[in-house]
Amino acid sequence: MHESSDEHMLERILNNNEDLAAHNRDHFDAAGLLCINLMSAPGAGKTSLLERSLLDLSKHWQCSVIEGDMVGELDADRLRKLGVDVSQISTGKSCHLDAQMVARVLHSKALDKLDYLFIENVGNLVCPADFPLGEHKRVVLLSVTEGDDKPLKYPVIFHNCDVVLFTKCDLLPYVNFSVARATQYVQDLNPRAQCFAVSIVTGQGIDDWLNWLSSAYLQSQKNMPVSI
Amino acid sequence: MHEATIAKSILEIVSKQIAKTPGALRALQVHVVAGQFRNVDRESLEFAFDSLKMLDQRTSGCELHLEMPSAIALCRDSQHAYHPCYQQAYCCPLCGSGIGKLVSGEELDVVNVSLETVLHEEQKDHARVIR
Repeated sequence: MHESSDEHMLERILNNNEDLAAHNRDHFDAAGLLCINLMSAPGAGKTSLLERSLLDLSKHWQCSVIEGDMVGELDADRLRKLGVDVSQISTGKSCHLDAQMVARVLHSKALDKLDYLFIENVGNLVCPADFPLGEHKRVVLLSVTEGDDKPLKYPVIFHNCDVVLFTKCDLLPYVNFSVARATQYVQDLNPRAQCFAVSIVTGQGIDDWLNWLSSAYLQSQKNMPVSI
Repeated sequence: MHEATIAKSILEIVSKQIAKTPGALRALQVHVVAGQFRNVDRESLEFAFDSLKMLDQRTSGCELHLEMPSAIALCRDSQHAYHPCYQQAYCCPLCGSGIGKLVSGEELDVVNVSLETVLHEEQKDHARVIR
């Protein structure tokens, strides 16, 4: 005799990635480092921002980078010229990094010697939002050439981040982009996000960004588990 | 967003439930809730699910019941509950302020699996006695 039974439950889908991300995060916390996941559409300036940031940071802090690209190592090579350790993940056809990809490269890094670990995600404003990697902070870049309405069109990634950087602000005189409007759109989606207008060319906003990184690092040290 | 990965994850949960339920033969239906802020496309997920379920005869007859509720937020200025939407820039229709807190909208869960089961021999005997 056959019956049917209902098995009520509440089981998270994609929990494999979330569990692995939590595991990565445990490694980062044990090492006492701050991990930042940089996300944006292709060409918004993630690698340039990292180049500029690492110029300053690597004078006083131990930094490492995990670089995610579908193909090639062009971005990783740019960063290696700064003397920073860079691990390249070639995702092939995958349009985002996931926690397992990151976990695989961690064994090659001396995490406990690091202060900052930057993960430059694949250029994409959709998929990275749904695949946490174990990061402490999520930073989204939006260049002024992309349009100030992008937070409305991609609400998930902007709702879930800690910082939004409006990049390439030296081009503002030539494009129809309002930093005030874009900031408003972000803050209406995400009241905790801090927004900075930056330009690698002119240096605008870079000090604010570096100060934020420094504060985030110091804050993370207070939150780290104390080893007994 | 990666509906094939999501479909695979759903079917793994269903298969795990079949494996741990005594007498379970196959899955009849799986109820999934996907919130507005999870980038899920209904048609893509249904297509991926209907394709991947055929790889296992225990899931090949399983129907996907996909619920996609609108998100609920409390607005920043007056804590009014509303449905944030693109048309209103995700702001409160009453006071115009933005999201203060997202109450729901980020779920991506299996909430129920209906299974076809065969009664255990002792249960069949008990059923005969009851009749």
